[in-house]
Amino acid sequence: MTRILFSDKLDNCIARWRAAGLTVFGPVKTDTLSSYAAIEQASDFDFESVLPDRSIKDLFFPQTEPMLRYTIKKRAIETEDFTPPNGKRIIFGARPCDASGLAIDDSLFGWDYKDEYWIQRRNESVIVSIACTKADDFCLCSSLNLAPDSSTGSDVLLRPLENNNGWVVEELTDRGREAFLAIAELLQDGSDPIAPIADVPEKFDLDTCVAWLQNPENFESKFWKEISMRCIGCGSCTYLCPTCHCFDIQDEGDTYSGIRRKNWDSCSFALFTMHTSGHNPRATQSARWRQRIMHKFNYFPGTFSVNSCSGCGRCSRQCPVDMGITETLQKISTLQP
Amino acid sequence: MITQEKYRTRVKELLANNSVKMVIGYKQGSTADRRRPLFVRSFEEADELVLDSNCIGNLAGYLVTEGLLSDEKRVGIFLRPEGIRSINILAAESQLNTEQIIIFGFDTSGREVKALQGEQAGDFSGLIDSLKEKPPEKSSDALLYRIDQMNTEERFAFWKDEFSRCIKCYACRQACPMCYCRRCIVDSNQPQWINTSSHTLGNFEWNIVRAFHLAGRCVGCGNCDRACPVNIPLRFINARMAQEVFESFDHYAGTSQTQEPVLASFNKDDSETFIL
Amino acid sequence: MSEPFEPKIIAFVCTYCTYAGADLAGTSRLKYAPNVRIVRLPCTGRISPMFILKALQKGADGVLVSGCHPGDCHFTHGNYHARRRWMVFRSLLDFLGISPERVKFSWISAAEGGKFADLINSVTEDIRKLGPFDQYKELIKETETPATL
Repeated sequence: MTRILFSDKLDNCIARWRAAGLTVFGPVKTDTLSSYAAIEQASDFDFESVLPDRSIKDLFFPQTEPMLRYTIKKRAIETEDFTPPNGKRIIFGARPCDASGLAIDDSLFGWDYKDEYWIQRRNESVIVSIACTKADDFCLCSSLNLAPDSSTGSDVLLRPLENNNGWVVEELTDRGREAFLAIAELLQDGSDPIAPIADVPEKFDLDTCVAWLQNPENFESKFWKEISMRCIGCGSCTYLCPTCHCFDIQDEGDTYSGIRRKNWDSCSFALFTMHTSGHNPRATQSARWRQRIMHKFNYFPGTFSVNSCSGCGRCSRQCPVDMGITETLQKISTLQP
Repeated sequence: MITQEKYRTRVKELLANNSVKMVIGYKQGSTADRRRPLFVRSFEEADELVLDSNCIGNLAGYLVTEGLLSDEKRVGIFLRPEGIRSINILAAESQLNTEQIIIFGFDTSGREVKALQGEQAGDFSGLIDSLKEKPPEKSSDALLYRIDQMNTEERFAFWKDEFSRCIKCYACRQACPMCYCRRCIVDSNQPQWINTSSHTLGNFEWNIVRAFHLAGRCVGCGNCDRACPVNIPLRFINARMAQEVFESFDHYAGTSQTQEPVLASFNKDDSETFIL
Repeated sequence: MSEPFEPKIIAFVCTYCTYAGADLAGTSRLKYAPNVRIVRLPCTGRISPMFILKALQKGADGVLVSGCHPGDCHFTHGNYHARRRWMVFRSLLDFLGISPERVKFSWISAAEGGKFADLINSVTEDIRKLGPFDQYKELIKETETPATL
């Protein structure tokens, strides 16, 4: 016997969650783009796409966000903090890769400096993931020790029924249980069969890749130049990535007053590491691509014991020149460590 | 297929007698209909060359990669007519010497690929002139029609909505063969003309600046539009600029390597009906 | 009760003609609308579209760009270059939904103090009729950075 949430109850659930003070978010698709956004009713959800074009990161770490307002006075500088926006919310229908991405970034944003914006949004959000029954050529979770039904980062995991008319509910955390308490009476017990999860073939052997990356000799390997020759240095891979988290702090305003903002930044940009002197430690695009791969699969796991990649495949899916993590790691896995 | 074979052979010939150090072409990408850029320096790589109707990206931008042409050796490149126009503009703007560029010209109609006659940029002037004769399409695109029917406020609202999605990844700029500035205006901060933050105002400013900088230079290859990860219809803006310079100044970007850049030249009789 | 709308207009003018024209308007004791803030530049050829965007970014309701009549440019052809640039820029603004009525261009010579005063009055009235540039101001508000004009 399992607990089941049938799709036709979804509108009722939304109403109850709202009554409980939660804003409901989910995957939404428009003519131009799909993303995670606030929804009004069940018909707003897009459960059909393999995954939204934009990652769940947008909801926790927006592309630009004010941090403080400053005013320079004669004898002092006055500052006024922007408090992180508050409001409880439930994100229904997250993909497991996106949810795992959040768990990965938790380790960074909760590390030595606690990023209050991230942490507050995380604490106020319930992540309800739906196991994937569909995948495309670019999905690679299975190559990263994850799976289409991974529960990492989720508060509740839903498994679609074979008849596509509901989900089996697996509550994973207290936060998830609390949110589902509000809809407890809308759930039914049943033994309907669940749909098989998507088949995501393993694309490379991660351990082989990591061993190669960890060998200091390979840092200067010719491989980097070869693989990144066609990289045009845009930041779309990093900006659509659910785990890329680099940001820049910019002041906007005039001489005496303005706003300090936290903006996304990308290691693909030449300016990312440019010094004021004009010297750039990562002077070439190949050095920048190497940094992206090394960071995700060597440096980040060195600090946090987890890879900074959850296998959504967005980087490869939308790359203007058809590059991506998959191709790079596939090639690395064929090299001598 | 015949064109592909012919060009593979020609590429090998040029490599064999050291006439080119590299040929920039296309190869099979990660899915059946994707093609990715390929840098051919050996016969094995030449065998990977693919030429078909899916080869749509304009590769001309790779030619201005820092250092690529500084050894004065020749480089081959696969280009559609728009790509050849890009080469002319880059030459007109002193970014490259066309003598260093061997062009493998091609065009497609439907699924058919046909080779273009010639190997030097100058060889295609007849072709480009004939393209100029066909005025830039007043596109039959339904969305463009809708934009044209809007009043000013509606158009503002439309673009505001489009630009609000912009994430400032600068894929449009990086994919564009004409965006070769060593330091882009948005990367300059003394003075900081436009907002670097990706709020809608900053996005609006960024897209205005880029469109203006491309006015009279855009060849309509569509690289920016395809590269945009959030699907902003950038093609319309650049096409409108191309149409404006064509109608006002009879300028068709990239007809020859000696063409004067339209916004760096003038005619004493230019229209000034709008000036009070 | 809200105050009546007074448009804020930024005028970018060349120093040799329009600025001198404005000076003449002043020394001739001509009265004209106080809504225009003048920024003096060496030549209209130096007036980048960036300036216009910056003015809008800071909350201007309208922008005026003015320089020497064709043929009168101190640098012989700066204004010819500028003219082409504006033609294209206007068309771009129009396509993106920024009314070209908010960005005006004129030729005013050093001798045309009267024209300067009249133009400032008529431009101010035109912009007043269009009303505040609310659509743009909404974008400015969203940035949390105050419009400082």
